[in-house]
Amino acid sequence: MRGLLRRAWYFLRQHRLDDELAEEMEFHRAMAQREIENRGVDARDAGFAARRAFGSAALAADRSRDVWVPRALQGLGQDFRLAVRTMFANRLVSFVAIVSLALGIGANTAIFSLVNSLMLRALPVKDPAQLVLVKGREPTGYPEWSYPLFEQLRQRPELFDGIVAWSPTARATVTAGAESQHVDGLLASGSFFDVLGVRAAIGRTFAETDDVRGGGPDGPVAVISHDFWQRQFGGAADAIGRTLTVENVPLTIIGVTPPDFFGPDVGRMFDLIVPLGVEPLLSRSEARLDNRDATSWLNIMARLKPGQARDAATAGLRGVQAQMFDATVPEHWDARSRDEYRHESMTLLPALTGDSTVRQLYARPLTTILVVVVLVLLIACANLANLLLARATARRHELSVRTALGASRWRLVRQQLAESAVLAGAGAAGGIVMASWASRVIVRQLSTDAKPVFLDLSMDWHVLAFTIGIAIATALLFGVAPALQASGVAPMDALKARGDRSGPAERRRVGFSSGLVVAQVALSVVLLVAAGLFVRTFTSLVTRHLGFERDRVLVVSVNAHSAAIDPSRRIAMYEQAREAVGALPGVAAAAVSTLTPPVDGPMSILPLADVGGRQPEGERPHATINAVSPDWFATFGTPIVAGRDFSTLDRSGAPRVAIVNRAFIRKFLAGLNPVGQSFTPKLPPPRDASPVTIVGVAEDAVLWSLRSPIEPAIYVPIAQGFLPAPWLAQVHLSVRSTNGPPARLARSIGSAVSAVNRELALTFQPLADQVDASLTQERVVAQLSGFFGALALLLAGLGLYGVTAYAVSRRRREIGIRVALGAAPAGVVRLVLSRVTMLVGLGVVIGTGVSLWASRYVASLLYGLQPRDPATLSGAVVVLAVVGGLAAWLPARRASRIDPAVVLRCE
Amino acid sequence: MGKAGSLELLPGTLDLLILKTLAAGAEHGYGIASRLKALSEDVLQVGESSLYPALQRLLLKGWVKAEWGASDNNRRARFYTLTAAGRKQLSAERDEFDRLILAIHKVLNAT
Repeated sequence: MRGLLRRAWYFLRQHRLDDELAEEMEFHRAMAQREIENRGVDARDAGFAARRAFGSAALAADRSRDVWVPRALQGLGQDFRLAVRTMFANRLVSFVAIVSLALGIGANTAIFSLVNSLMLRALPVKDPAQLVLVKGREPTGYPEWSYPLFEQLRQRPELFDGIVAWSPTARATVTAGAESQHVDGLLASGSFFDVLGVRAAIGRTFAETDDVRGGGPDGPVAVISHDFWQRQFGGAADAIGRTLTVENVPLTIIGVTPPDFFGPDVGRMFDLIVPLGVEPLLSRSEARLDNRDATSWLNIMARLKPGQARDAATAGLRGVQAQMFDATVPEHWDARSRDEYRHESMTLLPALTGDSTVRQLYARPLTTILVVVVLVLLIACANLANLLLARATARRHELSVRTALGASRWRLVRQQLAESAVLAGAGAAGGIVMASWASRVIVRQLSTDAKPVFLDLSMDWHVLAFTIGIAIATALLFGVAPALQASGVAPMDALKARGDRSGPAERRRVGFSSGLVVAQVALSVVLLVAAGLFVRTFTSLVTRHLGFERDRVLVVSVNAHSAAIDPSRRIAMYEQAREAVGALPGVAAAAVSTLTPPVDGPMSILPLADVGGRQPEGERPHATINAVSPDWFATFGTPIVAGRDFSTLDRSGAPRVAIVNRAFIRKFLAGLNPVGQSFTPKLPPPRDASPVTIVGVAEDAVLWSLRSPIEPAIYVPIAQGFLPAPWLAQVHLSVRSTNGPPARLARSIGSAVSAVNRELALTFQPLADQVDASLTQERVVAQLSGFFGALALLLAGLGLYGVTAYAVSRRRREIGIRVALGAAPAGVVRLVLSRVTMLVGLGVVIGTGVSLWASRYVASLLYGLQPRDPATLSGAVVVLAVVGGLAAWLPARRASRIDPAVVLRCE
Repeated sequence: MGKAGSLELLPGTLDLLILKTLAAGAEHGYGIASRLKALSEDVLQVGESSLYPALQRLLLKGWVKAEWGASDNNRRARFYTLTAAGRKQLSAERDEFDRLILAIHKVLNAT
């Protein structure tokens, strides 16, 4: 190591040290001369004698230098200096090369940094490798546990070194004076910061003593994120100790988390963390903390004991799980579900990279796009290889002169590689700059209003190593062929006429270029097919028949959690608000519902015991359920095809009624007249399981994800108390405008609802935005793959053009002679095109084959078409053929206009 | 090297000899060569094209260090001195060399 440092020191001062060595040896010689003179020899002869005795000073100097710098590396600095000079000498070539590399490497770095922060980066906590996630038998990305179960685990300290529970970030309302705003809140157990080893940046974090019902010694407390601290308090140190009113509960701010801590959910960011014990204060009557029925709102993570293996910990856990499940069985579930609950089994998953619903959604799309950008980079490399090959041919004279002067082959190869490395280095530097911008743009694209995506995109060694690796790989890919070409130059070439371009090396070069063109075309076909599949998936989702009108409805989310109103009075309040809004000018209709399409997240379902007097088919028959007010169908523009709509008479106490969709009838009431039939829900007491009469049939409409088929659906009057009260704490007030965009109604709606109850928290979103937001993943994939598909097409077209133009210029004389001998222009065009057609054809065949094979890997990302969709495939082939044809035809036409007289005169 | 009456050095022994020469005190390149010649009674004559690369090697390994100073006839000369690491190396190589010579003797004297 120290030797290496000394070498580096030497390298930096090489010139001075060389001079010193020369001086030292001169001194040696002078001393030797003096000694000989002392023996009585005259000065001149003594000088000669000393020189003879000394031998070759140059050899000694060379050998001394060899000690410091291995022979094979000497002159490397020279190579790089020359490479930089060459780069500036060929400005156009260098510019094209660097820009295309910066685009290619930048795209790769951008996508990889997303993949890295979403999938590879360790959680920003102490020793994340020791953390495990506690999951059920079939792990999901969603919370799976109840608080009583967490307490069971906590009572068994022998299992783990520490255990934390948290409820994922959810929207909360913070009020300051008359202003209110939404923040992303996280509920976490008192052990959270201690077990994760996260220290407060300022103030303190909360501990077990703060995590008690109603708050600890300091009352209810909150820890805020660094980002929120900056945003809300301008980074003021006196933020600690201030009060933050969340859901009308005053919380004392006790600390700020470090800037790099984004919480346990990768892809999300919190604004504040509150101890779980405060949850009953915030959620009031809907508190889940001590509710055994709330079995899926907590994530649990544990820290393994030092040296404890995950398998051993799992075994220990499974030994006691039956006890824990028995002690926490939900009280109000039906017998079968309770039984299933008892027989659930726990699984431990590594939590090194944290838990993430965003990851589940984007892991596959992102890796697909990563493959896409790698292919684009390969195409760009092929272009550059061709460009540099052509340049190496042009520089053959220079190279053969260098060979003639004694440069070794290795030296020539190294020179060419140095040039490639300089280009790739410049490209990579540009790429890193581009990537830091592009990855932020993509994250913004992934974010929606309701679900902001947060990813820590700071550079780390993963990304840096990836970029450097990619840069080296590209330099080798596009640099090796020209380098080998250069090394094949013979000294004799310099003496030959410079116009001679038909040696065997030249034929090899042409063959290699053709291979590159075939590869480019094949890769472009693959990318075009991918782009086609994703774009068509997106368009078929966007144009899918929804069964409702998306453009004239504004959805107002009404949150009554913090409103001081008795839950039983909420329905009446909603109805009051609906009537107030319905009377506003510009409002055509208004309706309240528990769900609005498309629902993002878990769907509420109603298990069915009996439909139309028969046992419904299938395992666990059920339908999705939406509780709606009168006018709901008019607001959404979903027609009632039989029977009647709900009215204000369908209220609590009146006979229980429902409207079902066509899918419900197809599944459960095929062949019967549905209106007048009844069904019986399968609900545990104390919920009402008496029969419900079907009074109407609605047209099928999308309620859940746009990707899923339309499921049997039941609409019930919201006033008939079908759903348990907690489900009604947050409802949606949908407002249809008489004409034009509905967003401009927001202000008047806001004041109308506030007039009814000013404590209701409102969020506005046009229905169209809500639909678009549900397609974020598909849109981003379609945009990215479309963009890169187009880029690939452009690059391949340029490559094809370049190779054809080069071939034409090489054959000018031949073509000139042909024209002189009477070849028609059409014949010349055919001559040039025939070869290109063959190359493109070969590329298309290979690309099609690869697409057919590879498309199955993206099947899960597609909607409404098969992975081997013939229309997409043939579309890609046609587009490529047209672009390829154009790229080849332009130089071919120029060839046909060659004037034989000019060509032959030049020769 | 290889003049009449001088011996080819065993590979690696030049470094050892230079270290040994420097153990007596700082010396410049010419001094090292003359001292080697004198001590070996003209048997060992080190060519400059081996001496200077060898000195560079020792510098690289950190066994000697070099400083410019004035020679006895007041010319600028580069003086080499042993470092602590060089001293250690000298004694280690010396032991190694003694064992090697002893072993060679044993083989040659075997009957």
